Amino acid sequence: MSKLTTTGLTKAFSGLVAVNDVSFNMEEGEILGIIGPNGAGKTTFIHLVSGILMPTSGRIEFKGKDITYAPAHERSRLGIARTYQLIHPLENLKVVENVMIGSVFSRGKSLKEARKAAEAICAELELDRLQRDTAQLSILEIKKMEIARALANEPEVLFLDEVMAGLNSDETKQVIATVQRIARERRMAVGVVEHVMGVIRELTQRVIVLEAGELIAEGPYETVSKNPRVIEAYLGGAA
Amino acid sequence: MKLKTSYIAAAVIAAVAVASPAFLGAYPLNVARSVMTYMALAISWDMLLRSGQISFGIAGLFGLGSYASALAVLRGGMDPFLSIVFAAAFAGVMAFALGFAILRLRAMYFSITTLALMEIFRIVMHNLDDFSGGPEGVVLPEVIFGGNSSALYWLCLGGLLITIGASWFFEKSKMHLALTAIRNDETSARSSGVDIFKYLLIAFVVTSTMQGMMGAIQVQSYGFTTPETAFDGNFTLLPLAMALLGGVHSTIGPMAGAVLLGIASEWLKLQIPYGHLIVYGVIIILVILFMPQGLVGMARRMIRAGREAGAGK
Amino acid sequence: MANKRNAAIVAALITAAVAAILVWRPTVLINGLQSAGLYASIAIPMGLILGIVHIVNLAHGEFLMVAAYATYMLCAATGMDPFLAMAPVAAVTAAFGFVIYKLTIRQALKSPELNQLILTFGIAISLTQVANLLFTSQTRKLSFDYVSASVDIGDLSFGVYKFVYIGIALLMIAGLKLFLTRTTTGKAALAVGQNPKGAAIVGIDVDKTYGLVFALASALVGMMGAVFITSSSIFPAVGSPFTMKSFCLIAMAGIGNIPGILGASVLLGVSENFLKAFRGTRGWADIVFFVLIITVILGRSIKGKKA
Ligand SMILES: Nc1ncnc2c1ncn2[C@@H]1O[C@H](COP(=O)(O)OP(=O)(O)OP(=O)(O)O)[C@@H](O)[C@H]1O
Ligand SMILES: [Mg+2]
Repeated sequence: MSKLTTTGLTKAFSGLVAVNDVSFNMEEGEILGIIGPNGAGKTTFIHLVSGILMPTSGRIEFKGKDITYAPAHERSRLGIARTYQLIHPLENLKVVENVMIGSVFSRGKSLKEARKAAEAICAELELDRLQRDTAQLSILEIKKMEIARALANEPEVLFLDEVMAGLNSDETKQVIATVQRIARERRMAVGVVEHVMGVIRELTQRVIVLEAGELIAEGPYETVSKNPRVIEAYLGGAA
Repeated sequence: MKLKTSYIAAAVIAAVAVASPAFLGAYPLNVARSVMTYMALAISWDMLLRSGQISFGIAGLFGLGSYASALAVLRGGMDPFLSIVFAAAFAGVMAFALGFAILRLRAMYFSITTLALMEIFRIVMHNLDDFSGGPEGVVLPEVIFGGNSSALYWLCLGGLLITIGASWFFEKSKMHLALTAIRNDETSARSSGVDIFKYLLIAFVVTSTMQGMMGAIQVQSYGFTTPETAFDGNFTLLPLAMALLGGVHSTIGPMAGAVLLGIASEWLKLQIPYGHLIVYGVIIILVILFMPQGLVGMARRMIRAGREAGAGK
Repeated sequence: MANKRNAAIVAALITAAVAAILVWRPTVLINGLQSAGLYASIAIPMGLILGIVHIVNLAHGEFLMVAAYATYMLCAATGMDPFLAMAPVAAVTAAFGFVIYKLTIRQALKSPELNQLILTFGIAISLTQVANLLFTSQTRKLSFDYVSASVDIGDLSFGVYKFVYIGIALLMIAGLKLFLTRTTTGKAALAVGQNPKGAAIVGIDVDKTYGLVFALASALVGMMGAVFITSSSIFPAVGSPFTMKSFCLIAMAGIGNIPGILGASVLLGVSENFLKAFRGTRGWADIVFFVLIITVILGRSIKGKKA
């Protein structure tokens, strides 16, 4: 069943078109890669579907319901969650409170239930000592906390914007394994933005490629990575 | 264990506060009322500050409450005690209506707007001669409870306790999560399902209600007010300095600050009749520069450092 | 296109309104322009600080008050004319502004904006209260003959002295324009205002520039403070209303738009004097400004949302 669909989604920043006429859809239970060179519009695309930015034109549907202009907090309640490329921890809240907040406000749980849920999610991600301040966390722990915060919304669609960036290969493997397991258990649709192609190859069943805001290729990683336009985009970006 | 001691301490302090009129004279009771009024305002200012929004308009809601209560009695013939409830509700309703416009503003734009609103309220009361008494203000036929100083004290204490209760609720409920999240990072709060406008509106309405209530209690206890006393800038300045000194983002911080500064200023008022407010200015500067956490924050840090040193042994 | 047409309509309406007022109550326009000059020349230095250091100095009006008292003392002691006192007073307030910057504001540049706001609020109170301690709240006034100079046109008689404020505002605008576009220091200051990090990378000393801008703005306020006492009596709280007014005018003009401040001042000055011209509305003149500031702020926030 199709969870999230966009048609002709476009976002222009005073002249610069960051996302240009992108139509795509995400199925229940699939892990989708979103790749493209720097500045391709990946983060902007996630901002649009999660409601942090409002589109210039186009349409977004979640399980058939029009959410094009729904505010971010409503989308989070409906079941769309995301992490941020530029991390946004809530520094005056404890780690556990950072995670709880999604359960409380997106799922309407009581503080007690939310705390339990947060502890369970953190245990799954092997994140411990939850009474700490966020300032005391390592990079790996911060990234885990960001994932835990998104999972606390109990989303049906989850976007991870470069969560592996800054992690070493062991840590990356650990996070990949966890994401895969959770996605499978919960039949979540997951969109993964990553620059490390190894991660994309291992994690995703399907990939979409953005370049200068446009969707230029779509398909399994193996085929897409041989697509001349994609190679051109990456080489062009590197040059 | 620790929790129990603090509950016992709170109960003892509350009991002493309630029983004070039995052993305090009229002057100390008067000072206590002034300190309690400022304390309630400082706490309510802090409650909104927990969302990151700085109000410079405490005096505006306070004055509005004063006038609503006085005019309800004078023009509407309302019972004085009931008029306090009415004034609190009136301030809340005004805040609700204004909130739709001004709670979309942030940082200095919000602060300056609250200050401007206060001035507008003042000028309106100044100019509505027939209704509000104009520059001369209003005089009530009698002070509430016949001016009995114990009763006035308990009335003020009641207002303060309601404010403390609301603040405590803000700290212990999901309001705490919502307001702190909004203060730290609105984007990320939205992604966690926090309806930012809704929680800002709740905080603004609740704190404005408290401020209006304290204004009403003030006017009923003194029996008169003028635009310049009801909307006196000191009702903004003093609570702000008290909360900063004690430590913001908590209930206990503004309380500590109010006790210290409130008593100090009563003393200073006698020592230096002109310019004793300089203490407030200097305290604001020093606290922002050297002690942004305030006294309570500093005490917390010292306790934590002590505990860690103890654990290290 | 639509914007241009709107601007043309607005311009036409304003011209019509001005013409109507001019015929009907000429003093509204005359007094309006005179207060506009005063508002603008006080607001411009604050606009300079806001545009380059990005600090809302809530003690701005108190700087004016300090300058006014300094001039008062100097002139009362030596019998000097305030216009001659402009130079020494400007030197004193420049040093004063620089020291305040170094001791307090500089330490809070990296703090949240709210801390800066509260800090300058604290400075404002301290300055007012120091003045209260030193001079008490009694008002003081020096009188000069030239202030009462007036002109008669037909049966209309009005004071002309206060037009000097318009002159000062225009001089400030021209002088700052020259400074910011022609001199190396000024260009550096402009660069720092637009992008402090970038300016630091190309080797501009940002901290020094901030200090300099603060000193310069304080010197300008100092000069204004000196002239201010010719036409107003002074007391410790005399400056505080100007802080809000200045901020409002800057917000109306848009941060960084110094000539726009004069335009906004004319709007404010004329509207206030319009209400003052009628007995029934005289008491309401003060409200114009506060309504205007809220309208401007809300208008900007709605416009910001759309963009
Ligand atoms: N708020 C904004 N205002 C103006 N331009 C913006 C804004 N946000 C992003 N852009 C521009 O939009 C384009 C797309 O940016 P985006 O962050 O979506 O790219 P990205 O694919 O996530 O890149 P990266 O791989 O570096 O994270 C860039 O050119 C960027 O400069
Ligand atoms: Mg990105």
